[in-house]
Amino acid sequence: MSDQTNVKLRLNNSELWGGLIGLALGIFVIRSGLKLKLGTINDPGSGYVLFYTGMLMCVFAITIIVAAVTEGGPTFALRWKDTRWTKPLLIIACLTAFSFALDQIGFLLSAIPLMLLLLRVIDPVRWTLAIPIAVLTPLGVWWVLKRLLLIQLPSGIFEIG
Amino acid sequence: MDTLVNVAHGFGVALLPINLLYCFIGVFIGTLVGVLPGIGPISAMSLLLPITLSGTPESGIIMMAGIYYGSMYGGSTTSILVNIPGEAASVVTCIDGHQMAKQGRAGPALGISALGSFIAGTFSLVALMLIAPSLANVAIAFGPAEYFSLMVLGLVVLTFLTQGSMAKALLMACIGIVLGLIGLDSITAQPRLTFGRMELIDGIGLVPVVMGLFGIAEVLINTEQHIKRDVINARITQLLPNKADWKASAGPISRGTILGFFLGILPGGGAVVASFASYALEKRLSKTPERFGNGAIEGVAGPESANNAAAGGAFIPLMTLGIPPNVVMALLLGAFVIHGLQPGPLLITQNPGLFWGIVASMYIGNVMLLVLNLPLIGMWVQLLKLPYNILFPLIILFTIIGVYCSSNNVFDVYVMIAFGVIGYSMRKLGYEPAPLVLAFVLGPMLENNLRKSLILSQGDLLTFVQRPISAACLVLAVVLLVGPLLPSLRKKRELVALDEGV
Repeated sequence: MSDQTNVKLRLNNSELWGGLIGLALGIFVIRSGLKLKLGTINDPGSGYVLFYTGMLMCVFAITIIVAAVTEGGPTFALRWKDTRWTKPLLIIACLTAFSFALDQIGFLLSAIPLMLLLLRVIDPVRWTLAIPIAVLTPLGVWWVLKRLLLIQLPSGIFEIG
Repeated sequence: MDTLVNVAHGFGVALLPINLLYCFIGVFIGTLVGVLPGIGPISAMSLLLPITLSGTPESGIIMMAGIYYGSMYGGSTTSILVNIPGEAASVVTCIDGHQMAKQGRAGPALGISALGSFIAGTFSLVALMLIAPSLANVAIAFGPAEYFSLMVLGLVVLTFLTQGSMAKALLMACIGIVLGLIGLDSITAQPRLTFGRMELIDGIGLVPVVMGLFGIAEVLINTEQHIKRDVINARITQLLPNKADWKASAGPISRGTILGFFLGILPGGGAVVASFASYALEKRLSKTPERFGNGAIEGVAGPESANNAAAGGAFIPLMTLGIPPNVVMALLLGAFVIHGLQPGPLLITQNPGLFWGIVASMYIGNVMLLVLNLPLIGMWVQLLKLPYNILFPLIILFTIIGVYCSSNNVFDVYVMIAFGVIGYSMRKLGYEPAPLVLAFVLGPMLENNLRKSLILSQGDLLTFVQRPISAACLVLAVVLLVGPLLPSLRKKRELVALDEGV
């Protein structure tokens, strides 16, 4: 493999970063376990299992890092090669915006634009079909939940829904 | 005699109109998700987990079980007609099933797959009925040390069978345990990893985690590529296999059924391993192995029987020990817990209606599936043409609503979206979510049993090796952990590595 596809000690080695994140998480878990107190082997405390799980996480993360450095690993670019990476990115952006809006403006006002965006972002559905689906599906779901199942969805500051 | 009385009681429960309806909904949705590539039983069950809250425990669990074994039936349709596995357990069916379809034999391929599945499903139910009560009696003698070691074994087997690096799978399992421990400590009531947030005091919910990791992440992964479908358009005729087909398939169906059932029972195993193992076995036993890959009906009959038998076998450890052997069963355990029930040795005696009702419903479900998958095959073929650009936004909307309805809390929607992004990134970097989810469910039980064993043994670690069942589980776990270091075992592991860990 070329160095573009299988890099070793480079910053764009995705395996290396995966291992480093695992190591950081492991250290955090060990620290949390210590803070919660380990107790004794006769009477393990709240942090006992967390501490040892954190230790194991560090061991596995180091194994991944060592493998990444010695055997190399694919670059980030290779992981997303020949994919439409902008699509998931746009969906994540839509979902993040939706999660902020949901509590503020309520389910109906946030779900309709979300559906419209999703219908247009993932292989665009024509407007004449996208608009009715985007409006009618959240409305239908809201009606079933509120009227039939008596489940209140967030209504937001405008109290719509 | 007792068994017959219990089965009759079970049929009394399963034949209630509401339970029949839930059973039908379950197997229908199961077939649907099996048919649709990209959505597996895990995603569907996680999506529908909140719905089980609205009915009785029997109805909810009957529906969830129906989705699982229903997806095993439906998965073969897509494999045979489109050459895309509907779900992970049908990957092998593509090899010979699609070749048969190309040769104009789609009907017999679909027919033998449905009939083999029916035979295997029925056998596994009879075995479940006979084995589960006896095993439950034995399991009453299990102490915390046995439970702890069994759970460790289950996690190690799953990580062993997970695709890619074992270190990554083990890291995922550890993260799952940590996530499972968030919230109040069940012994000291001390809050752990809650970051001062009241929403985390009760821990993270299973529903948002699973829906994020499997529902949202699945959509994100699928939207990355154009899903091309090459549906066999020829009219499907003669679904019933002829005499020669039956003669060739009888052996593979029997062997696949028995092999699948036992592989289903093993912790960490399941339908995917069973189907691969059955294919390998049939190819090895065949006098004409060169026919495999070119439309051999044995290559369809064996794996399809095996994955259905495994689906039935997987209920045994859950129902008798309370330990889910795979992620699907972990979700089913979640459904039990949501209803305040604890599967385990006492379930059969304390809730006979529930246990025998579920078993009886599976018989009924298998008959429903036969009807759904043979005479109604044309309907599923039409469904394969459903546009994904409409389906995916709907899945996202329903996951959001499902998560919100499970707790009436917007915080869970944030958790789901976060896990969706985490799940997507994990898969891109080659980390499988299955060990994380199983460990997430087993984590609190694992910790409880470890601490109990240490308290009871006054800190003597030898307690885990002095008890034979516990020792056997730990020895097997160590062998599997060390195994991948040996080149021959590493090769074998790569051959059976799973996609979703089911």
